[in-house]
Amino acid sequence: MKTSIVVPSRRQAQRDDLSSLGEPILQTRQLSLWYGKQQALDGVTLDIPKNKITAIIGPSGCGKSTLIRCFNRMNDLIPGVRIAGEIFYHHKNIQDPDVDPVEVRRRIGMVFQKPNPFPKSIYENVAFGLRINGFQGNLDRRVEGALRQAALWEEVTDYLHKKSGLDLSGGQQQRLCIARTVAIEPEVILMDEPCSSLDPIATAKIEDLMLELKRDYTVVIVTHNMQQAARVSDFTAFLYLGRLIEYGPTKKIFENPDKKETEDYITGKFG
Amino acid sequence: MSAPATQPSEQAFRRRLRWRHGKSKLFASLTITATLVGLATLAALLVNVFTNARLLIAMNATAEAGFAFSLRSLERGHDLFPYIRISQVTEGSSAEQLGVRSGDALIRMGFHAVAKISDAWATVEQIPEGPTPIGWVAGAERLLGDLRAEIDPETSRVTAVLLDYLTPGSAAERAGLQVNDILRKADDFPIQGTRQAWEAIVIAAQQKPTPSSVILEIQRGEQILHIALEAEQQAQIPLNRSFWHTLWFFITEYESPRFAELSGLRSAILGSFYVIGLMALFSVPLGVGAAIYLEEYARRTWLTGLIQVLISNLAGVPSVIYGIIGLEIFARAFALERGVLAGALTMALLILPVVIIASREALRAIPDSIRQAAYAVGATRWQVVRHHVLPYAAPGIFTGVVLSLSRAIGEAAPLILLGAFQYVAFDPKGLKDPFTVLPIQIFTWVGMPQEGRANIAAAAILVLLVILLLMNALAIFLRIKFQKRW
Amino acid sequence: MPREIIQEASSLQAPRGRYLKERLIRGIFFACAFFAIIITAYTIIIFAMGSAPFFESVSPFEFIFTIRWSPLIEPFSYGALPLIGGTLLTTGIALLVALPLGLLGAVYLSEYASPNVRRALKPIMELLAGIPSVVFGYFALLYVTPLLRNIFPDIQFWNALSAGLVLGIAILPLVSSLSEDIIYAVPRSVREASYALGATRFETVRRVVLPAAFSGITAAFILGMSRAIGETMIVAIAAGMTPVWPPEPLRPVMTLTAYIVNVATGDAEAGAFIWSTIFAVGALLFMMTLILNTISYFIVQRFREQYE
Repeated sequence: MKTSIVVPSRRQAQRDDLSSLGEPILQTRQLSLWYGKQQALDGVTLDIPKNKITAIIGPSGCGKSTLIRCFNRMNDLIPGVRIAGEIFYHHKNIQDPDVDPVEVRRRIGMVFQKPNPFPKSIYENVAFGLRINGFQGNLDRRVEGALRQAALWEEVTDYLHKKSGLDLSGGQQQRLCIARTVAIEPEVILMDEPCSSLDPIATAKIEDLMLELKRDYTVVIVTHNMQQAARVSDFTAFLYLGRLIEYGPTKKIFENPDKKETEDYITGKFG
Repeated sequence: MSAPATQPSEQAFRRRLRWRHGKSKLFASLTITATLVGLATLAALLVNVFTNARLLIAMNATAEAGFAFSLRSLERGHDLFPYIRISQVTEGSSAEQLGVRSGDALIRMGFHAVAKISDAWATVEQIPEGPTPIGWVAGAERLLGDLRAEIDPETSRVTAVLLDYLTPGSAAERAGLQVNDILRKADDFPIQGTRQAWEAIVIAAQQKPTPSSVILEIQRGEQILHIALEAEQQAQIPLNRSFWHTLWFFITEYESPRFAELSGLRSAILGSFYVIGLMALFSVPLGVGAAIYLEEYARRTWLTGLIQVLISNLAGVPSVIYGIIGLEIFARAFALERGVLAGALTMALLILPVVIIASREALRAIPDSIRQAAYAVGATRWQVVRHHVLPYAAPGIFTGVVLSLSRAIGEAAPLILLGAFQYVAFDPKGLKDPFTVLPIQIFTWVGMPQEGRANIAAAAILVLLVILLLMNALAIFLRIKFQKRW
Repeated sequence: MPREIIQEASSLQAPRGRYLKERLIRGIFFACAFFAIIITAYTIIIFAMGSAPFFESVSPFEFIFTIRWSPLIEPFSYGALPLIGGTLLTTGIALLVALPLGLLGAVYLSEYASPNVRRALKPIMELLAGIPSVVFGYFALLYVTPLLRNIFPDIQFWNALSAGLVLGIAILPLVSSLSEDIIYAVPRSVREASYALGATRFETVRRVVLPAAFSGITAAFILGMSRAIGETMIVAIAAGMTPVWPPEPLRPVMTLTAYIVNVATGDAEAGAFIWSTIFAVGALLFMMTLILNTISYFIVQRFREQYE
């Protein structure tokens, strides 16, 4: 995997404090994005480290969700989107014409803001990704594994086939969505404000889950909840008005930010 | 506290407010009235159809007992005296066994004098279940014999109506009439012609409140005699007035070209289902496919914009125009003639925009989050459509399709151009067979002048409305049963 | 954990055949949608070619502006003004019924009716909209005309008045439900702003809601008008088959649609000159409704963009 063909330009100097980053799995270079005439991202350059949790924070409308939707090309589905700059996954530009967005998405999974289980049985919810990706092994075991990983197995084991995904509670639904994502074993899991519609207890469960997932996956989480970012993430990026203001280890961002905007946001002066 | 000078005084303001509230109330009642007028019209329509259709049971009962009638009338001065002439008696029926023959006049049913066909049916409806008494006057030949008219050669006017031959065993013979008697009056109805003589006797008999004899004024030589003629015959006839029996007869028999009461809807119902079924085969896949393209695949280009404008326009093209298109494309260019298939394809064109619009709405109801979830686990666009969007939208699409089909079932105009306006007394089997459909059968019957056609038209409308109601109920049921909470 | 699905992370190309399959499926669906263009094009060609023989012998001016229509009885004459007049008369009467009733009904449903009444009335309106037009034709001929005879003793068996009135009832649900959708779409905040200034309900409806919904309601009316012009069975059954100029409400008239039905139910041989008159009349009808529908479509689009 290290036999990279395209080496990202290092024109944009990396900061010293990011040297602890390790091997980057996702990188963006001067990434800009427009919805029609409206610019949502402006020259974002960012490296996402492997097997770490990276949080993206910022006030609403700053382009957090837009940014992570670039990583698995979900923005392709929105009409009128224009992208400039580069996005690398294992040093391969995923915007290249020979790249199939479907292949990208099976390697980079996503959990959405609002739980969106399919109106099918719990089992089918998890099995769907496996089925369409031509999974050959033991489906039951894999579904069980995914549900266990999402800490949902104990709660749903009795009605895997009987209950629809929509019959679960909000927190359970979100964990089901996580199970659905981990079932196909992506390398990266993108989470777009996964707890924004959940109560504190469900949120705590999801947060525990994220720390569990870190062992096997790279997690990128968008959140507007700074405590959450501080609790779970290793690195934090602060986005404001489509620009990357500051990026570094979470501890540093929250305790000793370089930029004034970051400090203002963290301390609640705006946002 | 004093109000500023520009404000009206408290009192004026109050008065004005009352006036404004009054106007508001008036307007509110106006809107309610408008709604009620709409509802009342619907109610009037339904009540009218229902009452007219109800007589079909009585009509069918008499037809089943063996006789059909038609309305005749006798003119005297400026008054019209209608009477009912039995126009057909079925062989071997109970009516025939009792001695009713075609050409007889029906004058009483269940002790009520009847002069109009609708009276007769209304009477049949009211009398209690079981054998029904009927009274009739035998035809002129069996009642009297042959009549001869003496005509003044100068004025060409009938001067006298004579009995030329007396039928043995007839009521006239029993009453003591003789050959060469001149018939002058039946009660006080003057007899002025050979054909009219019998009619005068019928009218006279019909005028009596209870069955009794008609007094004939005759001239025998120089003598004027008054002779009581037992004109009316009476018998009890079994009438089957079962609703289900009538309904079954009505929907399983072919149309009778001569008699409304012997007509059924068989070929129209079969034709309707045949055409609509075939139509669905073409329009549903095409319509759903187009809807999927427009909702799931299309980007905002001028081409998709054009397609959308055209579809919404095609939905508004008058249906009769589709008849012309269908005639030209399918009947002529595709050489399908004016048969079932050409009709079905034409209707498919007509209903296609409706199916597309309904399916698009169903697809649009599937939230985007579901699609995104599927994409996020690595589904291709087709997999998203096939495994998620289509299955979840299916009830909605199906509801829309059922409603479109129910619209097609009531549509007549395009099929008139495709030759469905015709008398069909067989089941359409082949794809090029001539056919008729329910609304066209109704159109045909409404346009026919004979008494009874309006009633069977109403009954056919009722059948059509029940089919539509069932389809709508199915659609509503589906909508409720599969309602998703996203 | 073994990664069974992902063999090679750097290979992000689609498996062979996937693009082809996806393109093929997309192509099939596109063809379904493209069919709408084909139908429209074909329709225009058919009407152009079908009416060509007619317009070779009759000038469009004579067709639209002369007042004697006699295609079957000599001396032949092809002035469609009696047909156009008959159509406009029945449509006009229909609009006189449908516009006030439809608008007031829509206002009642969206502004006054309680949610329960609304829930009950909506399906009834759908039911009314679903009644086939032959049924309305029957109703006009056998119920409304006899009823009208009490008011106008010299009304004829077939007449424009009763056909027009019932035509109005037939398009009422369309006009009413479209207007209702539009009025309902006017945002709540607009109404609340008006109430907050002390306006009564009538004043709010009259001066705020209806003006806001004006363009949409116009579109609904235009669509109702187009429907009335194209409606066939009601006028074919109840308005008669007599092309007269000028058309009168109490006497029989013949509409454009009724003429087409009249020829189709007659014995005229297919291909005879009389068929080309059908195309000419059909083309006229098609054009009238097309223009009205397009206007209405774009008005509604603009209204939607404004409020949604």
